[in-house]
Amino acid sequence: MERDPVLKRYLLFVFLLQSDKSQNRTNERTDNHIAAFIFSLNTSGEDSITELNPRLLPGEVVIAEAQNVLLFAPVSEQKQGKSGSLSVTNFKLTFVTAEERPREESGQQQNLLLGEYDVCLSNVDVVYQLVGDKKRRLVPGSNVSGKVNGLHILCKNMRVLSFSFKFSPVGHGKILTNALLHHAFPRRHQLLFAYDYREQYYNCQREVCTFWELDDWKQELSRTGCQGWRLSAVNQSFQLSTSLPQWLVVPQAILDWQLGDAARHFRGSRPPVWCWGSSQGAALVRMADIHPTITERVKENVMLENVRKSHPQRRQPLLLDLSKDFPNPRDVQFSYTKLRELCAPESLHQFWVQDSRFFSLLESSRWLHIVSLCLCKAIEAADAIQRDVTVVLQEGDGRDMCCIVASLVQVLLDPHWRSLRGFQTLIQKEWVVLGHPFCTRLAHVFTTESEQSPEFLVFLDCMWQLLQQFPAAFEFTETYLTTLWDSAHISVFETFLFDCEHDRTKAAGDSNNHLVLRSVWDWGEQFQEQDIALFTNPLYKACSHSQSKQLVPQGGLSSLSIWRQCYFRWLPLLEIPGGGQAQIDLQHRQLSAEVAALQRSEPAPEHTVTQVGSFFPFGHGVTRPGVLLGSSLTLNTSFLPAEALLDSQSLLNAPD
Amino acid sequence: MDRKGSAELLSCDTNCSKHASCDSLASDSKSSSLNSKLGQESVGSDKGSPSKSYCSSSSTSTENVVSTLESKIKGKANVPESGPPSRPDDPPLLPEEKVQGVAREVTYLCPYSGPARGVLSVTNYRLHFRSMDRDTPYVVDVPLGVVSRIEKVGGASSRGENSYGIEVFCKDMRNLRFAHKQENHSRRNVFEKLQQYAFPLSHKLPLFAFEYSETWPENGWTVHEPIAELKRMGVPNDMWKISKINENYEICDSYPTVLAVPAQATDDDLRAVAAFRSRGRIPVLSWIHPESQATITRCSQPLVGVSGKRSREDERYIQLIMDANAQSHKMFIMDARPSANAIANKAKGGGYESEDAYQNAELVFLDIHNIHVMRESLRKLKELCFPNIEESRWLSGVESTYWLKHIKCILAGAVRIVDKVENHKTSVLVHCSDGWDRTAQLTALAMLMLDPYYRTIKGFEVLIEKEWLSFGHKFQQRIGHGDDHHSDADRSPVFLQFIDCVYQITTQFPNAFEFNDHFLITILDHMYSCRFGTFLCNSDRERAVEGVKQKTVSLWSFINSNLDVYRNPLYWAPATCQQVLIPIASVRHIILWKGHYCRWNPSMRPQDPVYQRTRELLVLKEQLEKQAEECRREQQSRAARNVATPPRLASPIHS
Repeated sequence: MERDPVLKRYLLFVFLLQSDKSQNRTNERTDNHIAAFIFSLNTSGEDSITELNPRLLPGEVVIAEAQNVLLFAPVSEQKQGKSGSLSVTNFKLTFVTAEERPREESGQQQNLLLGEYDVCLSNVDVVYQLVGDKKRRLVPGSNVSGKVNGLHILCKNMRVLSFSFKFSPVGHGKILTNALLHHAFPRRHQLLFAYDYREQYYNCQREVCTFWELDDWKQELSRTGCQGWRLSAVNQSFQLSTSLPQWLVVPQAILDWQLGDAARHFRGSRPPVWCWGSSQGAALVRMADIHPTITERVKENVMLENVRKSHPQRRQPLLLDLSKDFPNPRDVQFSYTKLRELCAPESLHQFWVQDSRFFSLLESSRWLHIVSLCLCKAIEAADAIQRDVTVVLQEGDGRDMCCIVASLVQVLLDPHWRSLRGFQTLIQKEWVVLGHPFCTRLAHVFTTESEQSPEFLVFLDCMWQLLQQFPAAFEFTETYLTTLWDSAHISVFETFLFDCEHDRTKAAGDSNNHLVLRSVWDWGEQFQEQDIALFTNPLYKACSHSQSKQLVPQGGLSSLSIWRQCYFRWLPLLEIPGGGQAQIDLQHRQLSAEVAALQRSEPAPEHTVTQVGSFFPFGHGVTRPGVLLGSSLTLNTSFLPAEALLDSQSLLNAPD
Repeated sequence: MDRKGSAELLSCDTNCSKHASCDSLASDSKSSSLNSKLGQESVGSDKGSPSKSYCSSSSTSTENVVSTLESKIKGKANVPESGPPSRPDDPPLLPEEKVQGVAREVTYLCPYSGPARGVLSVTNYRLHFRSMDRDTPYVVDVPLGVVSRIEKVGGASSRGENSYGIEVFCKDMRNLRFAHKQENHSRRNVFEKLQQYAFPLSHKLPLFAFEYSETWPENGWTVHEPIAELKRMGVPNDMWKISKINENYEICDSYPTVLAVPAQATDDDLRAVAAFRSRGRIPVLSWIHPESQATITRCSQPLVGVSGKRSREDERYIQLIMDANAQSHKMFIMDARPSANAIANKAKGGGYESEDAYQNAELVFLDIHNIHVMRESLRKLKELCFPNIEESRWLSGVESTYWLKHIKCILAGAVRIVDKVENHKTSVLVHCSDGWDRTAQLTALAMLMLDPYYRTIKGFEVLIEKEWLSFGHKFQQRIGHGDDHHSDADRSPVFLQFIDCVYQITTQFPNAFEFNDHFLITILDHMYSCRFGTFLCNSDRERAVEGVKQKTVSLWSFINSNLDVYRNPLYWAPATCQQVLIPIASVRHIILWKGHYCRWNPSMRPQDPVYQRTRELLVLKEQLEKQAEECRREQQSRAARNVATPPRLASPIHS
């Protein structure tokens, strides 16, 4: 069994901490014991104190620090934890412990910018103060005046961190908390770490097309072979719309001045723009709703008429309304918080209570419902385009659901986007350049009337569902998708940092800023080769011969499942040691390595079977099954309605 | 055999690549790869009947695989004996299968693709329908053993299209509706024949298994040799012996003849214990840990009753089981029932062990509900899954059936047993009331988790033979083979639940099992079909009396003669695979087995199952290895030739 070395590595201590006041005597003893233990930790090695300093990046500074902090293991009833020091810097919340396991041994993904127990400030979502058994939500930007015994932090990627300052010197908890409340929720964009990061940057990624240049669009037009559309410079210097890129692909028949005139009638000045087309002639077009103050829809109809004329057969386009019966950003955020409750239970008790009603709770979160809606709409649109009908996606500002559906349609229709490079290019085009308000939706900058909403996660979830239904169709893996979601909350990369091209250009052009545009697609900035290798799907190349051009997925809710790796990975008690999808992936890697070796007519490498946990490479150690079992049984009983239990027939006439 | 298998796989590979688009059409729930392969083969092997037929008959996925397999094997092994060359609308017939009734111009009311008109035939084994009004015939092929109830719909006064006919309710999560034309007067005959041959025992007819005779290369009746299996586990040893006390089913008529009991226990002890255990089902060995000697034993409830009776012999016997494991001075008695049910059983003379009477034993209730609760749960599940799914309420619908919660509960119970045996080196005694339903689920699952042998195809067959069949799970009662009392309270999906639990473990450990879920579905299908003798009767004794082994074919003969289709391509060789599996018994990890419960719904089938890709890779690897091997051999022989002929050193060219 691999359990023992893992446990050794994990070094979990059991601190029997009871906040129960009736047990003061034992508490004192425990406290002394732990204090002594921590003391011994700090003095054991000669340089152990220097070791507990956080690792800093160039340009990163420590703002506040707390010593002798306990980090509790997730859902451990605050009974297991590690001791270390906790700091807030201008980049991250960082916990440094002497008990850190050797990273290369853990098999975990290693981020070059963040340690195992670090989170970027941009990832911090909600901060609670622990008061006795209760949690009090703290207001960003406010000051805590009293003593802080503990913190409970919810991250945007569903990670949960619980700290206790019980053994910290007086005042440490308060200082740290106040620093976190100020720096994790900056009110100005320039306060994000990207502006302070001083590491040299040599742009190593040339593969992903940014769509910043005229040529990028030209290439895309000619690659698709779509006729009837032209490039327009009408938005040069963002004079037409600040949320659209400087180069637009528009109907051939329309003149730039007409376009400029019409644009003012649309929300965000976003008239119909081309984003993809088939060589047959049908195109995929995105546009905003007509401005709410304008009642007549003449301009809209004129524009749609121009879209129609762009089709070689002058076919009437199909207009898909993504506002009606579709979730708005607030709905998505609400759904996400419900989903997160299920993935970040506060206690073991809550975990099992949720477990007994898991499916109905999941349903009431409506998360899978939203994913299903997006997939079904994309399937409908792809079907129309396949029938050579142009599809126009229309939605409020055309910057949220439009991004999701437009990307999905293209993934379904065009194998080009299913490679790793193609997928990144697609996100660059549909999300980054066409103006998904990442900064607002991911809440990099704090505002009181928050419009935070993880639309991008909805898209990644849709993609994950497709990966499940077509395991060989994509060059990338679920590990890649999960990593991409994590990376959206790292304030080093420009890709997901801005609301639109206009903001990016302005920020980068301002010489006071010293802002270096560092692309998230440059994965070498974050990871070493062995971690990047896990992004590519071993089945993609091996089974390339049997890949179909169009994917027709099943979008119904009953065909979807929950993305365990991304959502459950912070719950160690749900990790299956030696099980899960990770084993299949691992096996395919070995198999395709053997096949590749044989193709080079080398002897096949020996099977070096390693077993990993089901959340690999995001596993966090292995829990002993006993912990889970003991707690499961107390709650297992009487989940049936009382009538069923008391049914005399079922009780007494039981032949068994 | 192996060589042939790989050749088939290779041909499958080329087929897959060539017919990628038609593949998805032909693909059925679980085994598109199989199907595409078999599809290609059936074109060659039975030219008479159009191979298109089963490509299109998406409603009967597994049967299709099975029947195609049959026709394939029949084509190879022995010439079909029955009757003149078949017409295209005749059903495919097994040996000794005979057409009993045929009705033309019958409409099958398919809930997915609408009405189809064609010919309905009833044989002594199956109901067969083939549409005549479609380009690609639609085929329904159902073994009659699957039928639970048949009802007439509409009468002489029925008006409107398709309002007059027959509805067939099946045990495998589907109902079939056929509409007859009143003027044809075809319904009566079909209905009568269906009644007769679906419920032969109620009509004083034999089950089909007793008529069917087909020889297979493998003999499934020899898969489980009780003594050999005990020897595999190292029994007999110092602490455990093999007892023949039940050779004539004297102490327990629902137990097998071979029992493993503590070495110290005398025959008198065993008889005394039998008197204190419900139906004489004494604690006997199911499994022993190869290192720690901790054991899993099974039995029925003690006959404690309201007065709290005790039995010194039983208490001493439990102590012997505990003492047989030197690693622990403690033992767990896992009572599968909810404690309320266990207490209620005292009123009927049963009950549970008191911890006062059984020193050092700890009693745990595992809260698994009884057969009636489970039957009701499956009924709700069928309502939810068939014929159509309401997408918006799907998740809460699944929850409201409680099916997955029961599955979770059973898994959690088995994991607890494994935890005690593996991690605490403590022996566990498992029982429920009679010890043939929930007990079998728990011991078999725990053994599957503890012992990699049971995760192989043959090992799993042994597990079923041992823990389910030989220890007297009442298949006859629980399934109601050939019996028309469809509302019989003894029927319950206990074994189905066990197979579902196995499926859950295979999803959590995708490479720990040699078999795939087509194997599990085949077992379930033939548990109902009554084509094989394996799941007939209620106990070893009954099967001996009926001469099942002599008169019927074992399901394992059929399966083991064509192992390739049941293999899991993701399986890692036993040496490298994890010894003990501990699945996570949280509903967050339990999934509804759509491949089984929703398999009749064509929209619920996986499009591109991952194992198909694995199989492609394996085939590719195999091809390459063969090439490499050939290259190597060629080089060797060239080298050998070079040695034979003197090296041409005289060559003037040196570059």
